[in-house]
Amino acid sequence: MTLALTVRGLAMQYGRRLVFQDVSFDLAAGQAAGIVGANGSGKTTLLRALAGCLTLKAGEIRIDGLSPRDAIGRIGVGYFAGEATLPGSVRAARWGSLGAGDDVTRESRRLRTLSRGTRQMLGLRTVLGRHPLGLILLDEPWEGLDPDAGRWLSTMLETKRDRGSAVVLSSHRLHDLAGLCDVYVFLLSHHVTVLRAHEIVSVGPVTTEHLLTTFDRLRGGAMTLRATS
Amino acid sequence: MRNVWYLVRFFHVVAPVPSMMVGTFVVLTMAGAGAILGDPARASGALVPVLILQTFASSSGFSLPARRGHYDLLFTRGGSRSLIALVHWATSVGPGVASWWALCFAEIAASAGARATLTASGTLAALFLVSTLPWAVTVGLPRFSGGIGWMLVVVTAATTFSADVFGVWAVPSTRIEDVAWSAWAFFMYPIAAVGEPLDRGQLMAVAPALLLAVGAMVTACHWVAHRDIPLEAAQ
Repeated sequence: MTLALTVRGLAMQYGRRLVFQDVSFDLAAGQAAGIVGANGSGKTTLLRALAGCLTLKAGEIRIDGLSPRDAIGRIGVGYFAGEATLPGSVRAARWGSLGAGDDVTRESRRLRTLSRGTRQMLGLRTVLGRHPLGLILLDEPWEGLDPDAGRWLSTMLETKRDRGSAVVLSSHRLHDLAGLCDVYVFLLSHHVTVLRAHEIVSVGPVTTEHLLTTFDRLRGGAMTLRATS
Repeated sequence: MRNVWYLVRFFHVVAPVPSMMVGTFVVLTMAGAGAILGDPARASGALVPVLILQTFASSSGFSLPARRGHYDLLFTRGGSRSLIALVHWATSVGPGVASWWALCFAEIAASAGARATLTASGTLAALFLVSTLPWAVTVGLPRFSGGIGWMLVVVTAATTFSADVFGVWAVPSTRIEDVAWSAWAFFMYPIAAVGEPLDRGQLMAVAPALLLAVGAMVTACHWVAHRDIPLEAAQ
């Protein structure tokens, strides 16, 4: 199996604000990584760094031995950061035509007039329709999707992974990540922990409960939100 | 070549110039062509509103839509980011250039080839300046910033000095002081050069502004090629 992605000692910052540091993990072709963390912990930043859009503060990212910006033209990268990144004034069918050239949708309305889930689905289908895809980077891909669309996405990701794509996903929906990923990157406020599936549970697949328990243990206990009236 | 074609297709779909503005170009072109066909001597006047609109159209702004993720499909496709910037510029100025072409044809047709003020060197210099500098200045700023900034400079200069300040560039002279004033006047209001064939002194006057525009374009493309593109929401 060819090594697809190597991250070593990665640190990112915006201005003086350090987002995270010391992130290291390997991902081979045909494997998936799940990024787990609280809001603002740097999940989007990590994915964007992998997509070659950001300069690293420290460390390095190698995709088949190349920097992300050199690699993306060669291996095929599918990156989608969520429906909010779609330009609202563009008509849906025309946006879909920018993918693999297939008809993603015949919907002629402007993107801003579509529901959030429909936009999310259109964005995903446009990106995942491209081929070949050596590396798939998706930021909160299940957000806004209905159960059928969510199942479609999970199946699609498993298929792509099994056909040799390396997949990196961030999600708050741990039940979608559980079982799908081989590596879990926990971005916590003061440290980063990377665990392979067999380090979370020695026998059987990783479940949502395993992920929740691990997440709480790593950050030193479950967080309690107090409702105010 | 395939990559260039995809870029053109992409910016045709995710157009840097709003469709309302393209519509305005069409209206101005039709009205201008009608005026020229009635009297070819009105060609320069017909082009002026097109050039003013072009200043705003070329102030299309690259960074903001990029930081909103609208161009992620391009950035993760590989290829040169400078090329992305150049195609973005070409599609930003395309409607204005098409409008200028149409008016050129109208002038030539109406005068049976006897007049060609819209292809005069002064016109070309003005068209080049309004199609490049605002785009380059606005690359890292919100849409229309370049056009609005230019409008502020023009209004401020006209009220501080007088509107005549824009005409000094046309005075034939090769004295350094006159050329310097002319260069400043052309830089502030290039539209005054429309329809004029440039003599030697005027060429010296327009050269600094054109060189500045070329330098700004190179800087802007370099900026796009090397700048980080974080998502607005992720910072």
